[in-house]
Amino acid sequence: MERDYDVCVIGSGAGGGPVALTLAQAGYSVLVLEKGPWFTEQDFYKDELACCRRSVYTPSLEDEQHVIEDLLDGDWVGEATSESGWDFWNGNCVGGSSNFMSGFFYRLKPEDFRLRSEFGPVEGANVADWPISYADLEPWYTLVEKEVGISGRFVDHPFAEPRSMPDFPMPPTREHPVVDYIDRACRKLDLHPLPTPRAILSRSRDGRGSCAYSGYCGSYGCSTGAKGSARAALLDRAAATGKCEIRAHAKVYRLASDARGRVTGAHYYDAEDQAQVVTARLFVVACQAIETSRLLLASVGPKHPQGLGNNRGQVGKNLLFSAGGSGSGDLEYADLDVDAAAALKTRGPFVNRGLQDWYFLDDKAFGGRAKGGTVDFLLSHPNPIGRAMGEKWDADDRLVWGKPLQQRLKSVFTTAQHLRYEIFCDWLPNDNCFVDLDSAVRDKWNTPVAKVRIGYHEHDLKVGRYINERALRVMETLGAKNIHSGISGAPPQNLVAGGCRFGKDPATSVLDADCRVHDAENLYISDGSFMPTGGSVPYTWTIYANAFRVAERIRSAL
Amino acid sequence: MNSERQVLVTRREFLSRLAALGALAASYPALALQERRSGAVEAPDWAGKDPWHTLTAVQQHLFPAGEDTPGAADIHAIQYLRNTLDNPAADGEDREFVVNGVGWLNELAQERTGKPFIKLDETQREELLRTIEQSRAGRNWLSLLLTYLLEALLADPVYGGNPHGIGWQWLQHQPGFPRPPADKTWYRLGRPVHFQRKA
Repeated sequence: MERDYDVCVIGSGAGGGPVALTLAQAGYSVLVLEKGPWFTEQDFYKDELACCRRSVYTPSLEDEQHVIEDLLDGDWVGEATSESGWDFWNGNCVGGSSNFMSGFFYRLKPEDFRLRSEFGPVEGANVADWPISYADLEPWYTLVEKEVGISGRFVDHPFAEPRSMPDFPMPPTREHPVVDYIDRACRKLDLHPLPTPRAILSRSRDGRGSCAYSGYCGSYGCSTGAKGSARAALLDRAAATGKCEIRAHAKVYRLASDARGRVTGAHYYDAEDQAQVVTARLFVVACQAIETSRLLLASVGPKHPQGLGNNRGQVGKNLLFSAGGSGSGDLEYADLDVDAAAALKTRGPFVNRGLQDWYFLDDKAFGGRAKGGTVDFLLSHPNPIGRAMGEKWDADDRLVWGKPLQQRLKSVFTTAQHLRYEIFCDWLPNDNCFVDLDSAVRDKWNTPVAKVRIGYHEHDLKVGRYINERALRVMETLGAKNIHSGISGAPPQNLVAGGCRFGKDPATSVLDADCRVHDAENLYISDGSFMPTGGSVPYTWTIYANAFRVAERIRSAL
Repeated sequence: MNSERQVLVTRREFLSRLAALGALAASYPALALQERRSGAVEAPDWAGKDPWHTLTAVQQHLFPAGEDTPGAADIHAIQYLRNTLDNPAADGEDREFVVNGVGWLNELAQERTGKPFIKLDETQREELLRTIEQSRAGRNWLSLLLTYLLEALLADPVYGGNPHGIGWQWLQHQPGFPRPPADKTWYRLGRPVHFQRKA
């Protein structure tokens, strides 16, 4: 049977990009279907309205939304995000949310691949070992350093994961003077401040410019191509092979499958909202965790009456976010001499400091050996409107205006540098964190939206608080004032994975070790959905690495 | 990028920062502001008619000019508001709400004082606005106007507020680069996108 393409990849972010590039380079015809538009470097400016205050890179919530189920007085209550304003989209355009990351990249550690065997079960959590080991993924982590472009400097520390290459392919991005404060404080506390690797070029390469150090990175598209988005680093190259076509404004709503369970076609709506269908030998889904599960659940077929790969009721289950929290403190200019204050006011270079001294805990007070997490330092986001908006309400939730508002603005903008830290801990997989199809709310194409239940495990808070106590000591030691912090069970919607975990037993997984969907031999998932546990770092490097690994498996299977 | 967490703590973070007030020195040169003001062009015709006339007065009350502080007029807040609400990509509900609010405000002003809002003195204006803040709709209306004032102060000048970066200079804020040219404003990127304010 003649098919339109060898491979159809649905979704163009960190999960789709490596597959499209690898297979196009291998000579296969590849079609990438992306729901959103195709922006390039010529569309990305440091415009706070475009990045963060209007729906440009994400859909209007009236058109497309989610229903979020949260615990309210003992009951799970769903609320549509168009009502709550809690936006769960992260970047719907070619390259996906990798366009808008700030690109601080960490690998997982060997123990992260076998948490269950290493630390034992946790009551109320579905912790599972991965079907592959760190050694299986290590070559692909290394490949990402080169293919995506990761800048950094390796520093050994007690919990450093093994590396096959001694150091990163390029030196770190330029660093902000505040790192001296962090380094001094950490040394005083006998900690190991680590340079944070970044998926940001510190040197021009392959037609991509070096970082321009504007200081507006996270939430913004990159104007120089330095940021290692799937678009700039991979898809532009895939398209240049002549074997990969990227079709924007193509929203896939159903995968059709045949009597053998094989996927036969991807049904999508085009820019004019007309229904289209495309055929391929093999399909790869990478729509980011929530939408990937939603698409599988919506794609019923003769061998998949409950949705693709869902014959054992596993699709959408064990969704992961990142647990932890964050804190902040002020380095007040009034406490410093003029030069030191001027240095701290610098805008542009990166903070590039993290701590993994508590990645694993071994403390009787905590309850023995346990998995901990990562602390990463950063400056408060530079967005001025976002910052100013926090000043229009007072502590009693009354509006502030007139001179009091102006004084507050002056103070928050001009008296201190605001240092922040974020804590990343495992979000324990549990029965109250999953994706399903909502029975009532539909998108503008009249298909059911994803309903996401966001339950967290109490243990996550315990770990978060333990690390937070120690992070606070760093903040105090480096002289920060007005220190505030919070550990929360609220999910950061931009750090999402799981829902289609891979595993050895089809009864408790959706994918096999190659990330092929059980019962659908020509369907693979290559985004973060595969992760049974998330590790205690942002997901993107692991998603990139695994997608390159899966691409190689697909190449062997074709 | 970890924006959600940022939202969760910044609120707390900001609520407690009031304590740091007082140590402020005036750093925006008053002279530069005076020069700007002397060179200001006259308000366009539409600004003298309602709802814009009343809205201008409300904005000036919410964001008054000081010797070294740019006020609503200095940041072209009314032009910014009009550009934003009249934008074809804009949320029609916002426009209707802002305009309706002017009607309610003036009705209440008449009822309480026998005069429209623009005829009230500063004390009366404050009293009236604090009164409408007690209702949910009034509070939302004022909050929305404050949002657009802060956008006029700090959004890129390409949107009609913050002339010559006056708001950035006042707050010693260093904008990013490259800055958006007129043909790459948010509503001109890609195909038309529906307007949506984000929290």
